Amino acid sequence: MQELPGPFPVGRYARKLQEELRRRARVRLVGEVTGVSRSKVQAYFELRDAEGAVPCAIWLDDLEKAGLPEGGLRDGAEVVVGGGPDYYPGGGQASPSFAFRATQVRLAGEGDLLARLAALRKQLRAEGLFELQKQLARPLLPKTIGVVTAEGGAARRDLLAGLARRGWAGTVVWAFAPVQDRRAAPAIGSAIQDLAAVPAVEAIVVTRGGGSLADLWAFCDETLCRTVAMLRVPVISAVGHERDSTLIDDVAAVACSTPTHAAEAAVPLDCRAARGELTRGAAALQRVGQGAVDARTRHLVSLARGPARALRRERAALNQKTREVRAASERGLAERRAFQRRLASVVLVRAARRAAGPEAQARREALRRAEVAFRAHEPERTLERGYALAEDAAGEPVATAAAARAAGRVRLRFADGRVGARIDEDGSEG
Amino acid sequence: MSEKPESYEAAVERLEQIIDRLDSGQAGLRETLELCREGRELVTYCSAELDAVSESLQELNLDELAARLEAEPREG
Repeated sequence: MQELPGPFPVGRYARKLQEELRRRARVRLVGEVTGVSRSKVQAYFELRDAEGAVPCAIWLDDLEKAGLPEGGLRDGAEVVVGGGPDYYPGGGQASPSFAFRATQVRLAGEGDLLARLAALRKQLRAEGLFELQKQLARPLLPKTIGVVTAEGGAARRDLLAGLARRGWAGTVVWAFAPVQDRRAAPAIGSAIQDLAAVPAVEAIVVTRGGGSLADLWAFCDETLCRTVAMLRVPVISAVGHERDSTLIDDVAAVACSTPTHAAEAAVPLDCRAARGELTRGAAALQRVGQGAVDARTRHLVSLARGPARALRRERAALNQKTREVRAASERGLAERRAFQRRLASVVLVRAARRAAGPEAQARREALRRAEVAFRAHEPERTLERGYALAEDAAGEPVATAAAARAAGRVRLRFADGRVGARIDEDGSEG
Repeated sequence: MSEKPESYEAAVERLEQIIDRLDSGQAGLRETLELCREGRELVTYCSAELDAVSESLQELNLDELAARLEAEPREG
């Protein structure tokens, strides 16, 4: 072990320590006052923030000169003190002590708070604490929300009005807490943690009305803001008015300017509008579903009707053709008969002409015979005697058995009409 | 219902997908009918979720709720 200088008498060392500390630069410190106590000549307190604390002492004379308002030096007050470190070496009976010897003190102003806020903000941002809450999923339609606010505040009424405007009537769990004094930050912090511990709570709103930065200072509390940042339930902050910006706004999932907006952030879904959209969606589904079925049904029906319709069409065409063929063959037959009659009359006229003249009588007689002979040869005469004439489909005479076999079907013309006949080889043999 | 949606937003997202698919006209008859059935179930679910937060606002104090939650396990 290295040999250290000394040993020195402790009293002398204590004096040296006091001298050294008193030589340190005089500075101003800002922080929150706690643990105020007084002796006959001095006031004692701790000045602290989230990172640490320094014991302070001020002579009552100096305190009086500072001109603080009545009760200004109290627990929870944000103050700026000026002075430097000091050491009281104690004495024969008195205990030694260290203190920051304040010679000036004033309440912290907006500027001091803003400077502290800026420093805190920089630190928490650097630690990534602003992002954690913003990464949490916020339910579109929570059934239960938690709210931290002052019991009698206007913020409570405004929040309820905002929820009503959303058409939302779920469950609100109120956690009332002081929102402006030394007790506020720890109370708000534990209220938030208690709400987050309730499984049904899906989002937490922290809200209070406007005020000076000093009034809102609880919402810049470092411990509170770290608590909020680490929470697994989304926190919606609505502290102060639009121009006010507290540290809790930075760490929260959403920062709103008013309690009414906070209600909209806590319940992102406009329930009335959603119901309307749902009704339209249901109608669209019904329409599309029914439409699809109807369209397919029509298609199927048309497919099913197709063959029957085609068949009817074919049948009609066939009937038409049959009628046309029949008409054509009947027309052909009539024409042929007319031609035969014309031919017969020409033959008769020629025969009559030949009969005219000197041998008229003889010719007339010859003509009469010819006429008788001709008439005897007319098919009708033969038919009148019980014969039948076989004709094919075109009305042409079927004169031979071979022709009859070839035709397959013939029509037999009797004196009193026609009948159809099928050529049956076997029948002829029998 | 085939499977309960994870949340209201999940149900609405699926419903929008279904309507987009139906609107595209590319779904066959069987798929169309299946999507319509699923869509109707989702509408029913969403409607029930909306009903659950539409009746009347319930206000609880955290302390009361804590007392109630503490009482529940004993009752169970």
